[in-house]
Amino acid sequence: MQRSDLKREIKQLLVAELNLTGRDPSSIEDEAPLFGTGGLGLDSLDALQIAMLVEEKFGVRVPEGDEARPMFRSVSSLSEFIEAARARDATSGSAPTG
Amino acid sequence: MPRTQSVIAITGLGAVTALGNSVEETWERVVRGERAFGPITLFSAEGYRVPLVGEVRGVRLDGPEDFSRTSELALHAAREALGSSGMSDGGRPRRIGLVVGGSTAGMLETESTLSVILSPEGAVDPAARDEALGRMLSHPLSAPTDRVARELGPFTRVRSLSSACSSGANAMLVGATWLELGLVDAVLCGASDALCRVTLAGFNALGALDPDGARPFDRRRRGLTLGEGAGFVVLERAADAAARGKRAVCTLLGWAARAEAHHITNPEPTGDAPSRAMRAALARAGVTPADVDYVNAHGTGTPLNDPMESRALVRVLGEHAARVPVSSQKGQFGHTLAAAGAIEATITACAIARGIVPPTGGLEEPDPECPLVHVMRGEERPIRVALSSSFGFGGMDTVLVFGRADAVQRGAPRRSRAVVVTGAGVITPAGIFGGLDVADVPDSAPEGDAIAYDLSAELDVERARRLDRASRLAAVACERALGDGTRTKALAGAEHVDAGVILGNAFGAVDATSAFMRRLREKGARFASPADFPSLVPSSPAGHVSIYLRLAGPTLAVADLATSGECAVAQGYELVAAGEADRIAVVAVEEKSQIVDQVFRVVFGPDRRDAARGERPLRREGAGAIALAAEDVAIAAGLPIFARIEQVLSWWQDESAFTEVAPPPGGARGGAVVVFGTAGAAIDAVLERTGWSECRRISCAERAGSHEAAGGIAVAVAAATLAKDPSIEAVLCVGIARGSGYAITFGRWRARSS
Repeated sequence: MQRSDLKREIKQLLVAELNLTGRDPSSIEDEAPLFGTGGLGLDSLDALQIAMLVEEKFGVRVPEGDEARPMFRSVSSLSEFIEAARARDATSGSAPTG
Repeated sequence: MPRTQSVIAITGLGAVTALGNSVEETWERVVRGERAFGPITLFSAEGYRVPLVGEVRGVRLDGPEDFSRTSELALHAAREALGSSGMSDGGRPRRIGLVVGGSTAGMLETESTLSVILSPEGAVDPAARDEALGRMLSHPLSAPTDRVARELGPFTRVRSLSSACSSGANAMLVGATWLELGLVDAVLCGASDALCRVTLAGFNALGALDPDGARPFDRRRRGLTLGEGAGFVVLERAADAAARGKRAVCTLLGWAARAEAHHITNPEPTGDAPSRAMRAALARAGVTPADVDYVNAHGTGTPLNDPMESRALVRVLGEHAARVPVSSQKGQFGHTLAAAGAIEATITACAIARGIVPPTGGLEEPDPECPLVHVMRGEERPIRVALSSSFGFGGMDTVLVFGRADAVQRGAPRRSRAVVVTGAGVITPAGIFGGLDVADVPDSAPEGDAIAYDLSAELDVERARRLDRASRLAAVACERALGDGTRTKALAGAEHVDAGVILGNAFGAVDATSAFMRRLREKGARFASPADFPSLVPSSPAGHVSIYLRLAGPTLAVADLATSGECAVAQGYELVAAGEADRIAVVAVEEKSQIVDQVFRVVFGPDRRDAARGERPLRREGAGAIALAAEDVAIAAGLPIFARIEQVLSWWQDESAFTEVAPPPGGARGGAVVVFGTAGAAIDAVLERTGWSECRRISCAERAGSHEAAGGIAVAVAAATLAKDPSIEAVLCVGIARGSGYAITFGRWRARSS
């Protein structure tokens, strides 16, 4: 999958699953902060939901706790995490979860 | 020492927890610092990250066909409490009430029923599926209350409530107000919750469970451990206990409930609402922070709760925080959710009566973020005044203050306050009605049974994104009822509005629970939805409304099947009359549910659509709300006054109580009207015997829908009808279902000439 496709898919997932009604997925900037002010304004409950959805939809395992924090910064960081995890799974040959 | 009539004595205790099957057994093991955690055995927890729980063992938990683990836990503890109060047989007062808090009710059993209903097409025999559907609604929030009432009754007044993890504390708050308002002579109050898949999977999904078992206030803490159990107490006036020669265990001196109006799962970090509740409860008790000798903390062991609670305590206790011991037992028998406040009340009562401060089991390395006097080992110490806190999902915070049996209540006794209606709001498939227009609901023309129009124009969609359908309907109705730009204020980031929310809802989020269970069955615990879980708690819409409209007063849900709306009005009225809240939005809501529709089709037959043939009207969906205020508060704030509440009566099984319904002023012809949700022979009988049978009748169910919240719409219509038509002097609103009855009389409000 192209990186831009993955980002688009993540944005659509965020809008649909977090009930960001009225928001056009393409209007979300790749680097916009997901949490706190000045971005999407999501919170820790959303982070848990995103982690669960990423595991379910993209078949990669999300680490728990502070270790996972950097990947939740933006759509870009989420897509980088997913790509890296998939590449790891491909080289190690381990089956993806979910 | 002199005693006043208003002192409330606790004369009976009952508890069942993972640590023990009685108060005594639990207490002894609590003091020894024992922990009772192990992997769950009630069901397979394969795939759950943390299967560790505090499970009750060694109690026989079965009963009649409709029993649930929660109802049997409740019965077990309630029986012990009533027995130890000496009221089991001879010593029973004439008017004894029952208040039961809960959040899961028969969820464990409902999960088994759902496993049949959710089976793929063809995998289950249709007859078995219908049989399961017939059982699907057997465990509403009110079912454990019914079970206790049937076994230990008769009770003159019965209430089922939920405010998530503060339910048990709120059961005591409600019981105390009943005594203060003179509605009962004694009250058995408590709460019960059993473990189930929904809560264990839900807290797993929230990442809120400590794999090593809860360690409240410990720097290594990673979350809570779920427990189960029940706690009950008997409250009565100290003078009555003395007159029957019964020694009190301790006294209940003060109580207060406040809402955080912040977030559905996360505590507001500064602890503002808990500290407001603590201050109000201490003031109610007539004591100062300097008088507090022990604090029984909520202390869940989650990373966010414990520092927040510590900040609130330090804020309220000030310099005394450096000497007042604080402990939590959630590292020993777990977080028993709704039951927590009730079980911990029995622990606090034992601590006071025996002069022993119980420890925080599981705590080894106190977190510097929690700068309190922690209790590592149980210690002897006289306790004259103790405080117990309970905080629930949705930010529902309740604090109780207990005193030694010889403590004298110094708080001024409160007089019952006059209560007025300051607004109404209704939403049905026919539209949204606010203010005086609510009187038009019975003449409206709904299309279909669902609200098909777009609600987003009525809501701030960004702020409302977490609100499920029931919460959205409730928010729209409450906003119309409260008026005065409540949402505008919330949007402007203004201070909280000092109003509470009481929700009436019979069955909770049935379809959402089913969807959550379907995911759990099909994908495993790892894919249980953390964001959907909070909406499964019965009090969730009340919490969502309080967050959305920034309402900071007492917030909780009540349930009483088809009279859940009327029950909510009674609850709201009591809290305002007793001075626990100045303003309250009372709302009853029923969302369209595929499963509830299927159940009713199985139970009542397929075709109920032809109202002209005398069959019952469509269920539909909708919400009805009224805003209540203390009369003096409404006048001072310049709120519109629709009506004055003249009388609120409720009865349970014993219908002789309805003869107390005051006859219409000036007789039947003198401009009196009767309003009800769904008509019935029981209502006709009440009207016949109370002089209201000749009055004009307005039935709401035909146009608004025949469902469990119809009574909430009826009270809104009643208040608006009175306000709109100056020829009407009084409106009686009656609702009766399965032996539970409510009669609410609205009268014309007139400014007193001074």
